[in-house]
Amino acid sequence: MIKINSKNVDVYYGKKQALFNINLDIEENQVTALIGPSGCGKSTFLRCLNRMNDVIDICRVKGQIIINDFDINDKSCDVVRLREKIGMVFQKPNPFPKTIYENISYGPTIHGMAQSKNEMDEIVETSLKKAALWEEVKDRLHEPGTGLSGGQQQRLCIARAISVKPEVILMDEPCSALDPIATAQIEELIDELKKDHTIIIVTHSMAQAARVSQNTGFFHLGELIEHGSTDKIFKNPENKKTQDYITGRFG
Amino acid sequence: MNKNKEQLLNKRYKAEKRFRLYGQSAIFMALLFLTIFIFKIFSTGYSAFQKTWLIVPVTFDAELMMLEQNPSKEDLKDADYYDIALKSMADLDPNANEDQENELKRMVSYFFEREIKRELLNDPSLIGKTKDVYLTASDDLDQVFKGNYPRDLPEDQRRVTDYQLKIFDQLVELGKVESKFNLSFFTYPDSREAELAGIASSFMGSIFSILVCLMIAFPVAVLAAIYLEEFAPKNRFTDFIEVNINNLAAVPSIVFGLLGLGILLAVFQLPRSTPLVGGITLSLMTLPTIIIACRASLKAVPPSIREAALAMGASKMQTTMHHTVPLSMPGTLSGTIIGLAQALGETAPLILIGMVAFVNTIPGSPLDPAASLPVQIYIWAESAERGFVEKVSACIMVLLGFLIIMNLFAQIIRHKFEKKWS
Repeated sequence: MIKINSKNVDVYYGKKQALFNINLDIEENQVTALIGPSGCGKSTFLRCLNRMNDVIDICRVKGQIIINDFDINDKSCDVVRLREKIGMVFQKPNPFPKTIYENISYGPTIHGMAQSKNEMDEIVETSLKKAALWEEVKDRLHEPGTGLSGGQQQRLCIARAISVKPEVILMDEPCSALDPIATAQIEELIDELKKDHTIIIVTHSMAQAARVSQNTGFFHLGELIEHGSTDKIFKNPENKKTQDYITGRFG
Repeated sequence: MNKNKEQLLNKRYKAEKRFRLYGQSAIFMALLFLTIFIFKIFSTGYSAFQKTWLIVPVTFDAELMMLEQNPSKEDLKDADYYDIALKSMADLDPNANEDQENELKRMVSYFFEREIKRELLNDPSLIGKTKDVYLTASDDLDQVFKGNYPRDLPEDQRRVTDYQLKIFDQLVELGKVESKFNLSFFTYPDSREAELAGIASSFMGSIFSILVCLMIAFPVAVLAAIYLEEFAPKNRFTDFIEVNINNLAAVPSIVFGLLGLGILLAVFQLPRSTPLVGGITLSLMTLPTIIIACRASLKAVPPSIREAALAMGASKMQTTMHHTVPLSMPGTLSGTIIGLAQALGETAPLILIGMVAFVNTIPGSPLDPAASLPVQIYIWAESAERGFVEKVSACIMVLLGFLIIMNLFAQIIRHKFEKKWS
């Protein structure tokens, strides 16, 4: 099942074109990894999917990105509703400087997802459990989220993202600021989360892409060079550039 | 080669030592000036917190006061106290002639009969009896007692006569002169008589001005800062506005005073000399300070927090109000307090809008005429009487005390509530 279908996506930062004619389909309930050297446009593409590029004044996006038969670049699309459906986890853990509980409850609160305190408690608990953080923080839900370790903070951010039950989760190098143990925990978590969510992850680590993803897209200089199943991309790439990158000859 | 290197090393060490010395001497100089300044103010001003009283026996003679038998409270209020007041002063020297009696009267404050009246109103049973009453000494004798008055001047060059000094010295010897804490300095409004002048009117004037200033400047400045920082597109026009806000912060305060005079008083006909007009004028000055502080602290909120909120599906407005603005508040508040502290010490614009008028009532609202603390300093510093010299310093001490408290408060807010970013 195709969850996201992007057609002829071009992105410009001012006069500079950052993405050229990207056509990429994302499979539902699978993990899609976007790889490529720095500055190749993979994060830019990821941010197109929940229209986070709107924040940047000079950024313009052209083309169609169709999610649930609906073009999110259409004028009628409401970004607030879109971002409720498409969560995001950032490169550096960025919990709100509030308590752990408030971090999770913020999304459900602004989207009116809980009618009572009990319901909210339940959402917080399930979100933290899904993010494999519950056992570590259940006794200090009302302590600041910024007091957690880096890996815990990132899992808190994941819990925050899944608290509003998004269909898609975008992850922008979620492990680049973490140590190997925390990274392993997040990777396990990603594997778990794909049952309920479609996941798109940008990563610099080829090994990580190979470990967690079922599909991979390779970006280079703003173009999508090759995409397909992770197995095929890593073992039997069609394009020379892909092969060079995967074998570590550049990038 | 090696020697050359050693020379270089020595040179570097020496340069570092020299630089450290420069820094230390700069700090030393700054501290020295500050100490001299504070010492000067304290040494002139501390005596203003003491007030000299003459203890004079007063006979509450019903006849002299024109009182009937069994007077009511009203009668007591309406009674004539001038004669008994005059008589009790004249009685200090039974041999005094008419001129000398006049001099005796001028040894106490202008309102000495009121002090006698208050005594009787407190205790009506005093009628017909004699009691030692504390009377405020005249400002010149006050200064004599404090040792601030040059007694060796020729008589025609001082305001205290030899005769007054003689009687005063007798009283001192008898223990009839006392120095007590000068409460009236804080509770009395301004007066032409130095011994009765206090800071109550100017203090309340300052408080009202600052409150008006806060109520206008804070909301306007914060809204302007939030809009400019979070919502306004970054283009030439907003750049132009930013430059002008910075310019506004650099405009000399007297220009704002002229603006207040020309617009608030002349066009809008607001009441002259009032803290309302003063506060509005000061708010124009404080506005850019708060805008700049608020924008700086909004800028200091990491973009990752905004992204986190936006990615959760918060609208721009929710992101700003739920996350960015609360996080910027410590910086904004401390900037506001510093802006208000500046406004508190501002003199020139207030003089222009008429807050320099002599006000001998304590204002009860921002619509009553008032002075302000710095203007009070200016008024007193211009007065010729010796008694005002120490009052100027004392008033400076009160003002400085306030400024220090406000700045301290700003520091505490900043340190206590500012979130640390991991």
